[in-house]
Amino acid sequence: MTTAFWIITIVTLLGALLAVTLRNLVHCVLSLILFFLGIAGHYFLLRADFFGTVQILIYIGAVAVLILFAIMLTRNVTGEEGPREILGMKWWSGAVIAALVAGVLLHAVRRDATAAVASSAPKPLSVADLGRALVGDWVVPFEGMAVLLTAALIGAVVIALEEVQRRR
Amino acid sequence: MEAVYHFLRSLRWVGDWPQPVLWALAFAVPIVFVVVVFPLIFAYTTLVERKALGRIQNRLGPNRVGRWGILQPIADGLKLLIKEDIVPAKADRVVHTLAPVIAVIPSLMLFTVIPVGSGLIPVNLNIGLLFVFAISTGSVLALFMGGWASRNKFSLLGAMRSVAQVVSYEVPMVLAAVVVVMAVGSLSTVDIAAAQAGGWANVTNWFVFRPWGFVGLVLFLMGAMAESARTPFDLPEAESEIIAGYHTEYSGFKFALFQLGEYLAAIAMAGVTVTLFLGGYNGPGCELPVVGKLIGMGWFFVKLFAMIAVIIWIRGTWPRIRVDQLMAFAWKLMLPMAIINLIVAALYHYIEPKLLAWVVSAGLLVLSWATLSSLSAPPHLQKRTYRYWA
Repeated sequence: MTTAFWIITIVTLLGALLAVTLRNLVHCVLSLILFFLGIAGHYFLLRADFFGTVQILIYIGAVAVLILFAIMLTRNVTGEEGPREILGMKWWSGAVIAALVAGVLLHAVRRDATAAVASSAPKPLSVADLGRALVGDWVVPFEGMAVLLTAALIGAVVIALEEVQRRR
Repeated sequence: MEAVYHFLRSLRWVGDWPQPVLWALAFAVPIVFVVVVFPLIFAYTTLVERKALGRIQNRLGPNRVGRWGILQPIADGLKLLIKEDIVPAKADRVVHTLAPVIAVIPSLMLFTVIPVGSGLIPVNLNIGLLFVFAISTGSVLALFMGGWASRNKFSLLGAMRSVAQVVSYEVPMVLAAVVVVMAVGSLSTVDIAAAQAGGWANVTNWFVFRPWGFVGLVLFLMGAMAESARTPFDLPEAESEIIAGYHTEYSGFKFALFQLGEYLAAIAMAGVTVTLFLGGYNGPGCELPVVGKLIGMGWFFVKLFAMIAVIIWIRGTWPRIRVDQLMAFAWKLMLPMAIINLIVAALYHYIEPKLLAWVVSAGLLVLSWATLSSLSAPPHLQKRTYRYWA
């Protein structure tokens, strides 16, 4: 189990590092996909099959494919005209944000009592329980998310419509 | 896997081997089965396809290598193995080489959650169906990588088409399958297949005999064919428009790997269709105590080959649809139909005399199909009259 953990960790970190250091945009996205796969592997290792599968479905099947699609719609399809230097002018702001987020996450995980319990007795999570929780305890945020997504969809249509009308 | 293990334990001369050896064997049997049997089916599917297309188009098809061309796939494989492997000078070497590999892996992984008989499944995931949808998106990545890395305008056009197509057809396909998940109450392919047992001769409980099941089957099959770029939806590799699409710049065994991945995905999707709607391994005689498992396996493969034959038949008889038709078909016809089908399936569940439920839901589905197809019919399409004499 620990061997698998280290292999997956190394692959994940490698993907993350390559995603921010490679110069070609498409190569970056492909390394990002490697990183997503690594995270999915971690979920599978934690016996969270559902989350692992959803990670692949959403992040690789939707997010990464949409990024690739967006790149293909630009003029710079080969992705080769990236910036010369790997670290841009504002690299320190990114570093500060990353450090802050990592600190908050670490703090939250350390304080969370359920984390200690879960690590002592890992039990596979059933999809039925998850679904019941989603439409039971968490129904308000769930419905709020639906409203947000609908609003985003309508917004996208409005923007696209304006462009179509301008072209005429 | 467990079934293989218990079977090995029950054998007289194997049963008392050490346990780790038995477990290793139990792991190896399904893996070897998936890696050997399905590529073999792929090889002979190509032959059957060429023969059947030849028959449809009034020609003979391959008939030189062995009797009825029976050794043709092997000759093709040998030829592709010894052909020169060409990488274009401007191509992105690493991605160009990785793409065919990535095309095969997800297609092979799909077979791990398809039950070929009762209890005969490589891995019984409790989220099997979700796994199928997650993994099948991996193949679009391979198409994109191949098309993008070739640095060829036709390849890139093919890649763009395939990404757009897969993104839009995945939605109605998943919604069509959700109907079955609602009826069974489980995402496991084993549970879904088991839920279709019983009834008259193990046949009448197949979901295809419910109105929502039939509509779901048609929608799912269309979505699956679009995902694996089979003929009415083969725009990513439209020969007459963009040469061979994303694999224009591939030769030798890399090309063969692309073909392998594509056909395996189509065969796996046929298997998923059989499991979801056509009763999986259920059929007359599969409830018998000892030989039942073998009979069930036989039924599964009979249905699988029937689905493959239907897919080939569609390829031989349908023209390729246009890009705008492709998008309109997915978003204006298939997606609303899939959503209506979800509602109808819920109604079917709650209306009590099942005969009444059957009639009501069938009527609703026919009505909504008629409405949708008349709404999305192309405007100004009048009957043309040709006057050559008069």
